Amino acid sequence: MSPATPHPTPARTPTWPPAVRVLVTVLLVAYLAAVILPPLAGPPPASELANAVIQPFRPLIGLLSLGHGYRFFAPDPGPGHSIRWSMQMPDGSTRVGWIPDAVNDRPRLLYHRRFMISEKIATFVPFVDAPEAVRIEAKPRWQPLVKGVAGQLLARHRGQQVALQLVEHYLPTPEEVIQAHNGEDIITPLGTYAFPEGLLP
Amino acid sequence: MTLRSSPVSSRSVPDPELFSRTGQGGAREDRMRDGWIGEWVDGWNTFWFTPTDPLPLALVRIAVGALLTWSSIVWLLDADAFFGDHAWLLPSDAWRMNDQPWQWSGYFACSSAPAIRLVAVGTLLAAVLLTIGLATPLAAVMALIGFVSAANRAPLNVFGFDDVLGMLLIAVAVGPAGAVLSVDRLMFPRPPSALRSVRATLAIRLIQVHLCVIYFFSGCGKLLGASWWEGTALWGSIANACYRTLDLTWLANHPLIVNALTLATLLWEVSYPALVWPRLTRRIVLGMAVAVHMGIGLSMGMMEFGLAMIVANMAFVPAETWRRLCRISPPLIESESPIEVKRFGAATQ
Repeated sequence: MSPATPHPTPARTPTWPPAVRVLVTVLLVAYLAAVILPPLAGPPPASELANAVIQPFRPLIGLLSLGHGYRFFAPDPGPGHSIRWSMQMPDGSTRVGWIPDAVNDRPRLLYHRRFMISEKIATFVPFVDAPEAVRIEAKPRWQPLVKGVAGQLLARHRGQQVALQLVEHYLPTPEEVIQAHNGEDIITPLGTYAFPEGLLP
Repeated sequence: MTLRSSPVSSRSVPDPELFSRTGQGGAREDRMRDGWIGEWVDGWNTFWFTPTDPLPLALVRIAVGALLTWSSIVWLLDADAFFGDHAWLLPSDAWRMNDQPWQWSGYFACSSAPAIRLVAVGTLLAAVLLTIGLATPLAAVMALIGFVSAANRAPLNVFGFDDVLGMLLIAVAVGPAGAVLSVDRLMFPRPPSALRSVRATLAIRLIQVHLCVIYFFSGCGKLLGASWWEGTALWGSIANACYRTLDLTWLANHPLIVNALTLATLLWEVSYPALVWPRLTRRIVLGMAVAVHMGIGLSMGMMEFGLAMIVANMAFVPAETWRRLCRISPPLIESESPIEVKRFGAATQ
């Protein structure tokens, strides 16, 4: 029995017939490939070879939802992101809020599910002072996602139009914390959105 | 053991006889066992196909069922916003976050709020049944279907907790997770000697190997970051107010502690896939896992993620240890000279 085995069994205990073991071995190899290849071919840097080898396994990866990079807090734990929204209501008032909302998003798992919205959209949005060519190229990648968020906000709060900003929260150094100093957040406009003719779903 | 090029290396298709270890393989198997490939085949068979006690898998089942129950409740709190036609992520844009073929979801077929709730409540019900172990095989498959449906429909809202939950659910669906500690077993008792199974081994091994893959890539990813080498990476988590549930910013005055915690985390994670297997280091590695994941859970508010990782680490705790801890009597086994145990190290704890 190999180390860390769940629990040893004497050799006489019946195991599977050889043909079944061959079949299961093939399935195991396919499954292990579907587990190992996504992080290998996933978040950059990744090799062309890994991206070529993964292709036949992509259906299995999609079928079992195995397409994960597993780069938790890597390469460096960075600043957090939120989306600040400002909504114009039908009565002329303005309503503002955050995604996620640290005060009202309870339980904590719900907060994290909403926090992922701003964190994942942030991976597609270049800084506001990035070269224009970079910003133009990136916009088709993030804007459909932001439109979905805006639509959900408008439907949820019955608003007329909503303006969104991505806020990258300043990450203070230990020295700044000791001196009680905090830097500026980086704010990137994500646009203003409304349903056609103000029609809510 | 020396390498032999012929005739072993000329085989391109595994011979089923090579997988036999019960005395039927004859002379050819004996020759193969003497070679390097034979060692591999023996090792593979022992690793994956030795029948084992399903108790650890049953404990994983209870824990993962409870976590999925909680996750399903949270999805239900805002089901329309996660899965509806005007969700945070529109159905037509789901592919942008997870562009795989066969990226299916039961929610793609649901356009009305009642239909969405029906799928979500169905997943919740399957999770509850899985936890108590009632109709366990069916509940495990339905729970997996419900889980994948949510993950594939709302990829904008999932994170590491869901990655680990999926890994555990696949294993629970593969193995006899309801063989013990379940309502099924109360309703349909079986003799203890009939409980050991190869499927239990497969399921636990899938978790073990998958967990090593996770730590390997997570550790390698960290090696790309300067802050992990500098020993300051943990500060990035401590100072991030979006995650913070426990204020540890007083550590700003103790940079060496931050250095030590950062480097300990890095070294533990990078070495986990190697050091979790030997009995000598396993307890240390698993103890670190509990400390790190509880730390993440308490200080960064990701208790579900921390618990899911700890549950996955439970797969490395042998059945005998669980039986001792839980005061459960062991299943009856036939007595025989433990040849394979002796050959491969016999480490069970």
